[in-house]
Amino acid sequence: MIEFKNLVKRFGTRTILKGISFKIEEGQIAFILGTSGTGKSVLLKNLVGLLRPDEGEIWVDGREISKLSEQEYLEVRKICGMVFQQPALFDSLSVFENVAFGLRKHRIVEEALIPQRVQEALDAVHVKGVEQKFPQQISYGMQKRVSLARTVALRPKILLFDEPTTGLDPITTTAINELIQELSRQYKTTSLVVSHDMKCALDIADQIIVLDQGNVVDLGTPEQLKKSQVPLVKDFLEEVLAQEAQSALEEAKGRRS
Amino acid sequence: MKSVIGAIDEMGRAILFLGDILRTMVYRPNRSHEIFDQIWKVTVQSFATTGMAGFFVGGIMAVQFSLQMNEFGALGYLGGLATSGTIREVGPLLIAFMLAGKVGAYTSAELGTMRVTEQIDAIRCLGADPMQEIVVPRFIAIIVSSFFLLGLGLMMSIGGGMLVGSIVAGVNFEEYMRHVPTIVAFPSIVAGLIKCFVFAVILSTICTFKGYNASGGAKGVGISVVNTAVVTMIGIVMTDWLTSFLQEAVLNWFGVV
Repeated sequence: MIEFKNLVKRFGTRTILKGISFKIEEGQIAFILGTSGTGKSVLLKNLVGLLRPDEGEIWVDGREISKLSEQEYLEVRKICGMVFQQPALFDSLSVFENVAFGLRKHRIVEEALIPQRVQEALDAVHVKGVEQKFPQQISYGMQKRVSLARTVALRPKILLFDEPTTGLDPITTTAINELIQELSRQYKTTSLVVSHDMKCALDIADQIIVLDQGNVVDLGTPEQLKKSQVPLVKDFLEEVLAQEAQSALEEAKGRRS
Repeated sequence: MKSVIGAIDEMGRAILFLGDILRTMVYRPNRSHEIFDQIWKVTVQSFATTGMAGFFVGGIMAVQFSLQMNEFGALGYLGGLATSGTIREVGPLLIAFMLAGKVGAYTSAELGTMRVTEQIDAIRCLGADPMQEIVVPRFIAIIVSSFFLLGLGLMMSIGGGMLVGSIVAGVNFEEYMRHVPTIVAFPSIVAGLIKCFVFAVILSTICTFKGYNASGGAKGVGISVVNTAVVTMIGIVMTDWLTSFLQEAVLNWFGVV
């Protein structure tokens, strides 16, 4: 269970998060939606301790974590795996070494068991035969998958995704979204996904939180959000309808020709 | 005024960063092979260029000194004076400039890219300390390598000086080397080594600091590389004057000179 209580984060004189409060139950997939620059990624980085809040509390599994020391945070990071917006793979390490990195540093399994664990993680993201290649030798979509595998290999209880489909083509986007759902169900994780993709959120989320200008403007299940009267949420929904209409039109055209 | 305060502020942050590096070295020491790996990389990277530059600097010193010495009919002292000048002053300065241009820029760009592609955040999330993992090995490697490269540069400069001395001033090799042991005394060597150490610490602090704190994508990395080169050069020239002054004072104090 994750809970944010009145979280405030400032950078200099700018206040990015202005008192965020919401709760995510165990095993849920929650989407945080919002336009660019509303503090979505900042919120995730506060959760894993890459940034520290100026005010407020963050509770994970009944423990307040925002004031832990860097050393104490290692325990939190063992259970909170983060997948970054960019693949963030280490260029000088092979795919295998990249996936094994966290296992070794967190000392999650013994050295002898690492190859098996790496293989399982790569299988889970449907990547085969690239273990000895370096990140720059594989495609961007594949790098994203390996990055997912690197986090999943730790078997975290909580998975955090920072805009996992940004910069990907529609087919890979769908594949990654399916993977998020698949991995969350397979490993029974609580997942928190930062995204602009309302359509995907409506398809796979249990809960959606909408941020605007550092505030939560709406939250609820996809069904509840569909009836929302908040202007920003309505804009997002209109965008989804427009996308669906466009794809239906293209499908019809394709059938005719 | 604002830029002066900004510069002082930046200097303060760099010194705190150096403090962080030293603390990490003491409390969380690296495995030796990580450091040796970096030393190897840095040394090999600059081996050829430093050797070549050393050779030509030796030549330049020989030409410059020969013009003056010829007037006094003291060409026999050419080798000793040119070598002493190179060891005390030009050698360390040359090595520092070479390293600033090559290794400093490379390290700053490498760390900056790791920062903007979220690799540094990923290291923290995967249970490791980026200071220990990537900064300290590079910091130590640059300092240790600078001594190897100084040795190489100085040997090559003697070779260059001998060759040019024999061509330009007609001083044969034996004659050139005759006064080297008498003029290049122990204080000259100590002076050169102290300078080399101070320059290397300045360079490695600035390049790791600038790279580690880069922000703002490719442009940010570019800025950090340019800043590394400019600030290092200024820092080296300023401390060169300072170390010369201090060395004289210290050596006089002990009555060595």
